[in-house]
Amino acid sequence: MSTHAQASATLPRRPTHRVRTALILAALIAFSVATCLPAIGGVEIDLESITRNWRNGASKLQQLAQPNLAFLPRTLGPMLETLAMAVVGAVTAALVSIPVTLWAARPSNPHTVTRQLVRFVVNIVRSVPDLVYATILVAMIGVGTLPGVVTLILFDIGVVIKLVSEAIDSTDHPYLEAGRAAGGTQLQINRRTVLPQSWPLLTNQWLYSLELNVRISAILGIVGAGGIGRLLDERRAFYAYEDVSLIILEILIVVVLIELLSTTLRKRLR
Amino acid sequence: MSAAARPQLRPPSPAADRGAPSLPPRPSRTGPTVAAVIAGVIVVLATIELDISWTSLGEIPGRVANYLVLLFAEPNWEKLPRALFETWRSVSMAWLGAIGCVALSIPLGILAARGVGPAWVRLPLRWLFAIIRAVPEVVIALVLLTVTGLTPFTGALALGIAGIGTQGKWVYETVESVQEGASEAVRAAGGSTAEVARWALWPAAAPSLMSFALYRFEINIRTSAVLGLIGAGGIGTMLSNYTNYREWDTVGMLLIVVVVITMLIDLISGSIRRRIMEGARPRVVDRTR
Repeated sequence: MSTHAQASATLPRRPTHRVRTALILAALIAFSVATCLPAIGGVEIDLESITRNWRNGASKLQQLAQPNLAFLPRTLGPMLETLAMAVVGAVTAALVSIPVTLWAARPSNPHTVTRQLVRFVVNIVRSVPDLVYATILVAMIGVGTLPGVVTLILFDIGVVIKLVSEAIDSTDHPYLEAGRAAGGTQLQINRRTVLPQSWPLLTNQWLYSLELNVRISAILGIVGAGGIGRLLDERRAFYAYEDVSLIILEILIVVVLIELLSTTLRKRLR
Repeated sequence: MSAAARPQLRPPSPAADRGAPSLPPRPSRTGPTVAAVIAGVIVVLATIELDISWTSLGEIPGRVANYLVLLFAEPNWEKLPRALFETWRSVSMAWLGAIGCVALSIPLGILAARGVGPAWVRLPLRWLFAIIRAVPEVVIALVLLTVTGLTPFTGALALGIAGIGTQGKWVYETVESVQEGASEAVRAAGGSTAEVARWALWPAAAPSLMSFALYRFEINIRTSAVLGLIGAGGIGTMLSNYTNYREWDTVGMLLIVVVVITMLIDLISGSIRRRIMEGARPRVVDRTR
């Protein structure tokens, strides 16, 4: 082989991103360090307290490992209340989400201004955490299940509308064009083409929101919004950790059961 | 769905030639009807169980509107510096929690993936993830605060532990979806499990895992406010306190801060995630010069 051939066979230099990688790493490290400075509001990492107090946690876990089954009858009522809240919240949110989802998706609402407005409002609703709604609503309308249900509705609406309207946006819509070619109004097109196509997407999200609702409504009671969370907080205040353990166990079982139910239903939908 | 709506072309059969084509029997609607009735009964029972006083329900919108005016007509901006300080505390909790969660869930999740760890490692890990997924973060925080007290550190720890359930599941699902060719090649060249993970699975799964890590941070931003409500510190604690004092103008300001910060972080993190998953936009080369 001649030297000429060898020279042409040398590979081009591998592209390096050393500077970029260093910058990204430096930014990440700077951010992480800033989050550990208590002076500016960061978290004070107190590993010493773990070595000092780990026995407290261990004994709590030990107590939690012995659920008090005799407490079971008293938990059934609140648990039923929790489930009822989850169902009513999910159904109401489902009803509300049908028109608003169509309003927030491009194919069913070609009007840019109203669509962006609806999306903006939904984004605001979504960015407030669930328990924050519950805290404020309890202060507004009083302790009980109603603030809990309203919290769940607000939470579900955000999830369903955002995910489904984005899914509608990203699918192809030949039917829609057919509807338009046949001279349908936007309302008729939505009713006859977009809505039937979106049922599987919507039902899927509704079931998912029911699943999330059971989880959330189990803890809503901690801020006074009804359900089994109230009992959990009460027993914890009395340091009755065996009862707390039973409640947690019950929440676990119900969450897993609801998850199983919703997974089987969603599989059948597909 | 679309296939069913379209008329099907049937091959000409002798039966069709003889007489009028007989339609297939209508599919039975009994199953769906029964399911709908059961669902309806459950909803009605649930509504009765809630025992909401329907007569007072009419007053609620008026009262809420009244409170909305109290909240947002004149937000109290004087406490904004304090609110931003507390916000940074919440963001710190979320960030440290996300780091802890990701650092733990990536190795555990890779071990729990099919084709990496042996079954006696994989199954217990999956059970662990499932159990953590089912326990609410608040409950984990309630156990932890007996060790580290009501501090932001407890919040960060709770976020780190509570996230492992979902994060670990995402990790093993991502790793399992990686094509098998590369890991087979590493194994054929004599690679160990660790080497398979480093040279075959990691390069393919890393972008998704990084994206999920950022997504965990976004989720934690919301959850850290919730942990604040039970006293872990940060914006949630401030919000809960001022709600108890019924200082509505301050609560309104805090809500605005929460919404703006959450949306801002979603926006930044979302664009970084898109950059990780889709790569850089191709640069436009100006060829006219």
